[in-house]
Amino acid sequence: MRGEGAEEIHASGRHDRIAGSILALIGLATGLEAATFDVRFMTDPVGPKALPLLVAVILFGAGAGMFTRPRTRVELPPAAAARRMVLAGLAFLVYGLLLPWLGFFLSTSLVVAVLGLLFGGPRRGSALAGLSLAATLWLLFVVLLSLPLPIGDLWIR
Amino acid sequence: MDSLSHLISGFGVALRPFNMLLVVGGVGVGTFVGMLPGIGPINAIAILIPVTFASGMPPESALILLVGIYYGSQYGNSISTILLNVPGTASAVVTAIDGHAMTRDGRGGQALAVSAVASFVGGTLSIFGLVLFAPVLASWAIRFGPAEYFALMVFAFSALSSFAGASLSRAAASTAFGLWLATIGLDPNSAIPRYTFGQIQLLDGMDFVVVTIGLFAVSEVFQLLEESEAGQAAATMSGRISVSIRDLIANGWTMLRGSAIGFLVGVLPGAGGTIASFLAYSTEERLTGPTGRFGQGDPRGVAAPESANNAAATGALIPLLTLGVPGSGTTAVLLGALLGLGITPGPLLLAEEPDLFWGLAASMYVGNAFLLLMNLPLVGLFVRALTIPRWVLIPSVSALAFVAVYAVNTSAFDLVLMTLFGVAGYLMRKFDFPLAPVVLGLVLGPLMEKNLRRAMALSGGDWTVLFDSPIAITLWGLALTSLMAPVLLRRWTDLPGVDASDFGES
Repeated sequence: MRGEGAEEIHASGRHDRIAGSILALIGLATGLEAATFDVRFMTDPVGPKALPLLVAVILFGAGAGMFTRPRTRVELPPAAAARRMVLAGLAFLVYGLLLPWLGFFLSTSLVVAVLGLLFGGPRRGSALAGLSLAATLWLLFVVLLSLPLPIGDLWIR
Repeated sequence: MDSLSHLISGFGVALRPFNMLLVVGGVGVGTFVGMLPGIGPINAIAILIPVTFASGMPPESALILLVGIYYGSQYGNSISTILLNVPGTASAVVTAIDGHAMTRDGRGGQALAVSAVASFVGGTLSIFGLVLFAPVLASWAIRFGPAEYFALMVFAFSALSSFAGASLSRAAASTAFGLWLATIGLDPNSAIPRYTFGQIQLLDGMDFVVVTIGLFAVSEVFQLLEESEAGQAAATMSGRISVSIRDLIANGWTMLRGSAIGFLVGVLPGAGGTIASFLAYSTEERLTGPTGRFGQGDPRGVAAPESANNAAATGALIPLLTLGVPGSGTTAVLLGALLGLGITPGPLLLAEEPDLFWGLAASMYVGNAFLLLMNLPLVGLFVRALTIPRWVLIPSVSALAFVAVYAVNTSAFDLVLMTLFGVAGYLMRKFDFPLAPVVLGLVLGPLMEKNLRRAMALSGGDWTVLFDSPIAITLWGLALTSLMAPVLLRRWTDLPGVDASDFGES
């Protein structure tokens, strides 16, 4: 465990300050929203506000603490890695949006192939991995376990 | 012996062919994910939960499978640690010191054998502890009222936060984040929506499977992508994998001590396999004094942590099953699974669900026997899995995670949520926020709020009820003390060359 602050304060605690302020703001927003949780009849003496308010106080306090005593130096990923990560995040997101429309088989083949490429796999290998994995998972879950996976609206109409 | 007759009937459950199949599958998956750095038992369990729900298997079978992954991973984690110096899970970090030194000496086979036997000793001895102590704790906890439960949960949060590495304020923020996620949806008491942002899908609340897979698995994908493309290290095994009687005798006491330490540490909330292995290692090192070759490939440096982390895994099941209060992220996921199966763990579990408890305990004997088999003669098969290239392995695990998340509510919206939690998890790791308290907060939050409200309703709004009974006061005291524990622990486990910064349990 790195000690609370003290020896490791970096001149570049800028990231911690930014993160701390965001955290404090989230705490504030959480608290403001919690203040609106009014009920006409209190069914219990605590009510729906208490826990959210506690959460808001902790978040705000932790954020303020990070702001006033920044310590970690956050290593930003190099540009190439950052690009891979953004692409992977987009692939995840697009997968979630595309799945009901394009269906499980094609969407999964695509996302697995894209992730394979991002992890440095060969083109044909990644495509093959995607197709075979999607087929295996379909067999396993839909046929064997009868767990419904989307066929895709595109193919139904 | 009452426990003995119960245990025998438990074997009746565990030895059903279907359950045998599940225990073998569970411990096999556990060894696999424990060994591969980056997947981890918490992801494997979270991924399999929707599958077990959908398959409609009985709760005891589901638990036998999921818990099998949990303790199986404590065997597997030493394989990559010893051969590659890449710990599969945090609880194997200390095994690397002497385990990998043995590999460099050409004694990797011996290290694997010692590790497998030590894991078996820790794993099986601790089951005795489980069947002996769980009924005792259950009969004691029956006196717990809502105020005591509330204090107990605060203890669980403070203990996990104080051991979670990083700073206490960050751990507190992680816990608060989990508690906040727990409040999302309709408030069960007043039926008003909290933090739903007008989204109908959020009225039901956040599912812990979606959150866990996002925070742990998806963020791991981002993190692996960030690492420079380090070439796959080739795992080579040196030396024959065989257990000599001499090894067993030389390490016998070490394993027994490691098991005892591990079990006791495992029962405590917040602590767990990681702390247990550090404590066992440094205790052995102190006991042997200058005669030991600790740090340079002493087999006892493998036997101690491996027996301890396996015993700790079993020990952690006691508060989970008899109190319904988990002390780590992984056991919190197991609690979520139990609740989803319609089982409420607590002091009445043993009486109300004897098949579940005793069947599970018996299955753990079966599972440990299979694990010994898998980790001694068959370890070569698992070592070969270390050569699966990342571009196949990680996308495959991701696809499994997608299926699991989709299956929770058969909704693609959850996949979008999962991605958002993945980004959040990555940022949290970057800024040194521990992830396990989020899961604990999410799973335990509703129970904590419920007990607080019940306690207050019973007292008519008098806050002093929370500090009224000796049990409650003791638990509050423990919660405060646990905040000091890491300082003392660091002094005891002051190991040169080990970054003891992370005692964190996932």
